[in-house]
Amino acid sequence: MREEKKGNKRGMFIFLCILVFIISFGVGVVSKITHDPTNGKYKVEWNESIGTIYTDIAYGEKTSNKFDLYVPADNSKESYGLIVYFHAGGFTSGDKSDDKAILEYYCSKGYVTAGINYTLFGEQNLDSNIYTQSMEVKEAMPYVVNKAKELGYNVDRMAVAGGSAGGCLAMIYGYRDANESPVPVKMVFQAVGPSSFYPEDWKSYGLDKDYEAAANLFSVMTGQKITSDMFGTPEYDALVKDVSALYWVNENTVPTVMAYGKHDIFQPYEGSMRLDKALTNNNVDHKYFVMEHSGHGLQNDDKEYIEYMEAVQEYLDKYMSN
Amino acid sequence: MFTNKRIIILGIIVLLGFILGRLAVRAVINLMLGGTMFGGNLL
Repeated sequence: MREEKKGNKRGMFIFLCILVFIISFGVGVVSKITHDPTNGKYKVEWNESIGTIYTDIAYGEKTSNKFDLYVPADNSKESYGLIVYFHAGGFTSGDKSDDKAILEYYCSKGYVTAGINYTLFGEQNLDSNIYTQSMEVKEAMPYVVNKAKELGYNVDRMAVAGGSAGGCLAMIYGYRDANESPVPVKMVFQAVGPSSFYPEDWKSYGLDKDYEAAANLFSVMTGQKITSDMFGTPEYDALVKDVSALYWVNENTVPTVMAYGKHDIFQPYEGSMRLDKALTNNNVDHKYFVMEHSGHGLQNDDKEYIEYMEAVQEYLDKYMSN
Repeated sequence: MFTNKRIIILGIIVLLGFILGRLAVRAVINLMLGGTMFGGNLL
């Protein structure tokens, strides 16, 4: 009888151990998923005392040709800096609302901010590619600036920014199209945006070993007819130049803050090294953050991520102040 | 039922579960985006 009671107690304890493990495991999972490396520093409790958001303002005829504009409550300044943020999503998904938090944050700091949608590549839009997307966002800029002015915010300088695909588009606009911008582009900040298309860099897709696959993928991405025998030739460089921010770097390139993950499997870290080298060789004021343990999400290097965000603020203070 | 030994065992299980939970998320995210299991952030 006593032995049976002892056995029951042991059984209950083992059951309790399993239950406690499952609960602790769940708490660990949730705490990791909800982890914010900046402890909410770049989030604001949005309300009318901070500013106003105007959504889905059209800048073209296509369904996706829309932007959101965030204007600060204080409209008494003589001029305003504009921060345009392009959303991520591999050129095939994503939306301007994905960046609401960061757009609200910079708006709360006195900037006019804008998130711009562009036509995504997909079954409905097989003709869409990085080039057409870059041209769409370029066409959007005068509309953004004019809308801000119409609302009483005299925008006279801008920064372009983004993450991943958005980072790619931000660099293309900042490096390729800055001369045609309705207001001077003062700086670029972006994370994990591809800036060049060397097949030997794109190892995670196996393109370094399969030039046919590289030609197919880059043809879709760039909208150009690329064949495997073109790689390494001036003809190839000319075909991808319009979507390769790297090729537009010169001594007049705007200051840049950028961050990349060393183990990124979506776009090659090697490409960021080429970009850093080009910016350095052309004496462009820039900061290059390498997250040694992270991939495309910059997820394993909080300290460096915080430093990246602080560097963005430092450059905004330096180049976007009135 | 709760002897000192068992309380210690439960404490270890809580810690282990919490650590493994965080590591599991890191592993899944690394699988999706790239990254190392150790180094950088503590967990």
